[in-house]
Amino acid sequence: MRGAILIAVSTIVLCASTTSSEQAGPRRIDVTAERFSFFPSEIVVRTGEEIEFRVRSEDTAHGFRIEGSNVNGVVPKRGKGVLTVTTKFDRSGRYEIECTRLCGAGHDFMRGVVVVRDAVESKR
Amino acid sequence: MKFCVAVSTWALSVVLLGAVANAQTSDSPGVTGPISGYMELHLNNEQQQDASLDFHRFVLLFSHSFTPRIRFVGELELEHAFVEGREEAGEVELEQAYIDFLVRREFNLRAGMVLVPIGIINERHEPPVFNGVERPFVDTVIVPATWFEAGAGVHGELRHGFRYRAYALAPLNALEFTADEGIREGRQKGSQANVRNVAVAGRFEYVGFPGLTAGVSAWRGKSNFAVPRLDTTVTIGEADVRYRRDRLELRGEFANVHISDAARLNESLGAATGVSPNVAEGLRGFYGEAGYRIWAAGSPRDLVAFVRYENFDTQHKMPAGFLPLKEFDRDAWITGVTYYPDADVAIKADYVWQRNQSSIVKGRNSFNVGLGWWF
Repeated sequence: MRGAILIAVSTIVLCASTTSSEQAGPRRIDVTAERFSFFPSEIVVRTGEEIEFRVRSEDTAHGFRIEGSNVNGVVPKRGKGVLTVTTKFDRSGRYEIECTRLCGAGHDFMRGVVVVRDAVESKR
Repeated sequence: MKFCVAVSTWALSVVLLGAVANAQTSDSPGVTGPISGYMELHLNNEQQQDASLDFHRFVLLFSHSFTPRIRFVGELELEHAFVEGREEAGEVELEQAYIDFLVRREFNLRAGMVLVPIGIINERHEPPVFNGVERPFVDTVIVPATWFEAGAGVHGELRHGFRYRAYALAPLNALEFTADEGIREGRQKGSQANVRNVAVAGRFEYVGFPGLTAGVSAWRGKSNFAVPRLDTTVTIGEADVRYRRDRLELRGEFANVHISDAARLNESLGAATGVSPNVAEGLRGFYGEAGYRIWAAGSPRDLVAFVRYENFDTQHKMPAGFLPLKEFDRDAWITGVTYYPDADVAIKADYVWQRNQSSIVKGRNSFNVGLGWWF
């Protein structure tokens, strides 16, 4: 009986510590790139929030650039990995996402937006 | 026998390509220069015909940014590998050459040679993105892809995954319409196009759900500039959907074309040439396709099997006094595979069972093999 209680308590402590460490890390946002769109194409975050974008392609290699940020990378072709990039937006506003690698006839349609809201306003 | 040798040679090439791809399983994204493009090489073997090997498309895409907000994109295509004056063997086409003025995501301006925003294939036709060696029949004889025209318009993405394109373009030339291919030969292709009348085209699309693209398109324009007193207005309505979930991909498209004053168009052309073209008042086509990624471990272990049913009738509704030519009321089953030694390289094989409603002219089945790539 005492052993079972000990295991239960250990499990709860372990879960709690895992959760707290997850909360401390960046918020992960998965994005799919495909001729000629990003999904989601509209992403809402808060100022100061650390974001980890994980972008994967369903076809060819694409570019993933967010204007006004340090995000600018190449999304590998389907099945060849994921572009992982971490960033933080200090000012609220709209930051447009674009594919920077010519990917086909509709390349210029491939755009999205990050909407950054003020952290204080968001909490209200 | 010749066909067997051709297929064997082709199959050997495909196996070798696959072997090379297997040997080079590097995760490098590949190297891309300042020019991109796509190419398609086809082996077509139609019943009761000799097999043909055709370098169907050699397409180069160029882009240039004058500023981050003013950009040029060009697409130059050589069809069937060879062009000689006054012959119909091949074509050089300027399919796109436009300037985009990127104002904001919701509203942008485009002017130049643009792709008409209609259907699944017309704006999205790189060989690795569709199944089958040849493009769908509906996207060839009902929606005349690749359909490009000189004009200008607006495009953008609104909230919640809705986006749009709307252009004013040079219209079709009704004098070139046919019973077999409908409006296809009426495309002016931005070549000294007559713009006494202006056509409008628009597409509204939804991409706000994972794996789903659903769209509706329309085109309308007076197409009778060469013959006075005719009112040959062409109206096209189209709806399509693509949905992908895990290994499954589904596609469907429906398109309807209405040609007003088709009877007088036939009479005028009959009087001028001695032969009535028997142009219909209504053309209709639809298809449904299911594809399943049976090998999904990432290229070079990447294989899709598909089946598609198409129904397309360029004599769907005839004007009063004209009878439909039943051989142009057609349907087809297409089944095959697409193998990806690389995500940008597609090796395709399919079989096409084609039928029509004529009791005299039989539809011809065909076996096709293709190699297409994007770079």
